[in-house]
Amino acid sequence: MNDETFLNERVDVVAVFGEGLNPCRPIKFRRPSGREITITEIGLRHPNVQGKRMVHVFDVTDGGADYRLEFDSERLTWHLKMEADHYEK
Amino acid sequence: MNEFNHERPLIMHIDLNSCFASVEQQARPMLRGRPVAIVNRRTDTTALVTASYEAKAMGVKVGMKLREAKILCPDIIGIESDPAKYRFVYHKLLDIMRDYSAHVTMKSIDEGVIDFHDSTAAIAGRDLADIGYEIKQRLKDEIGVWMRCNVGISTNRFLAKTAAGLHKPDGLDVITPENIQDVLGSLKLTDLTGIAGRNEKRLNSVGIFTPLQFLAADSVTLHKMVFASVVGDWWYKRLRGWEVDDVATDIKRVGRQYVLERFGLSYDQILQRLHHLCESVGSRMRGQHKAARGIYVYAKTLDRQYWHASHMSQLPFCHDQTIYLQAQQLFRDAPTRLREIGIHCYELQDDMDSQLSLFNDQIVRERQVTSAIDDINAQFGERTIHSADTLNTGTYVKQKIPFGSTRYL
Repeated sequence: MNDETFLNERVDVVAVFGEGLNPCRPIKFRRPSGREITITEIGLRHPNVQGKRMVHVFDVTDGGADYRLEFDSERLTWHLKMEADHYEK
Repeated sequence: MNEFNHERPLIMHIDLNSCFASVEQQARPMLRGRPVAIVNRRTDTTALVTASYEAKAMGVKVGMKLREAKILCPDIIGIESDPAKYRFVYHKLLDIMRDYSAHVTMKSIDEGVIDFHDSTAAIAGRDLADIGYEIKQRLKDEIGVWMRCNVGISTNRFLAKTAAGLHKPDGLDVITPENIQDVLGSLKLTDLTGIAGRNEKRLNSVGIFTPLQFLAADSVTLHKMVFASVVGDWWYKRLRGWEVDDVATDIKRVGRQYVLERFGLSYDQILQRLHHLCESVGSRMRGQHKAARGIYVYAKTLDRQYWHASHMSQLPFCHDQTIYLQAQQLFRDAPTRLREIGIHCYELQDDMDSQLSLFNDQIVRERQVTSAIDDINAQFGERTIHSADTLNTGTYVKQKIPFGSTRYL
């Protein structure tokens, strides 16, 4: 079975706001433990409407694990919601 | 009309390959190339909603229990479905398709049809196969590199869908009068959409065992001997590329079902889950501006028995409490040892204020309260306000992927 860890960590994120189809691209983030993770690929970005609040969900990877980052566009905060770094063989 | 339709093929069917599994593999690169199964609940007894091509290659099939899939494919990774993600991909696909024609119909969350009749001169002048390849590329550019789709092109919806199923994954095929014999010759009867179980038996009963024999059958045989109705004529035309399926389907019923999260729940706990389903059905019904007159409640037991009860009211209803009170009343006769419950409302009609008596204060008040609750839930999120009775049920009864209908996406 898939080994996912569900979290709700407030994280610091470096993101680039540019042009194109995906104008917001998180580059790296720092977890409360101080560990820095460099994002190598954004798998998918999708919006998740919570009432009238819009949360942008970024599924990203650093090449070793998958992470789910959420950007709350009302509060302008980033949270790490999920980490999946191990898949049972 | 015994001739094939020789007009230019202008119907394109697009089908995302193993949609939910592909979306998860797109979102989570570590899953790519691995056998993945999408499930609605993290238990071994849950049925697979979708499996990735890697899992399918190991014999895993949709509908199979996760436990069975693990026997065939011990490395399979079960992922809980994430409807918001799939809804996003659905809307991206819809946006792409609408760039090519104003006549786009989504058949379900992962497939749709573009009708190129009446499209602009710039589009009409292009080869549809080129447009098909362009859409494939745009899926990769605008959603992600792991996204693939099948494209089928023909003169009607049925043959376009058949074409889309010929070379999975990532195929593109065109069915024309010139190649239809070859195409049908490579298929089984049950490969044809709409031919399964009963229809297959009907065809077999008159000696039709292959799609080519089906194609060779005359319309009188299909009408009188096989289908005993106009359905036979439709099949005759469908197989020859004439359009018979371009019909808007009206919403007939609104319902929800729920497989109990564990066995041995008390009667009151089951009623709470039924209440939750009623609130969900009421919300969906009001979202479609409909009211119902009929209510149908069913249950399946651990011994695979099916129980149901229904009631038809004189006045239409759409409020949660009205739905629940009726469902609760019907549910009194339900058996014990349940594994699944469900409810649906039918005999739908447009919900209009005029249908209510102006002198019935209670109905008017109920309507105002429900309307206020719907407004609050729309602003602050689903189930911000709901009955206290269903306070704890949200953990279990979650919103799942709506198959077969795109009304709630």
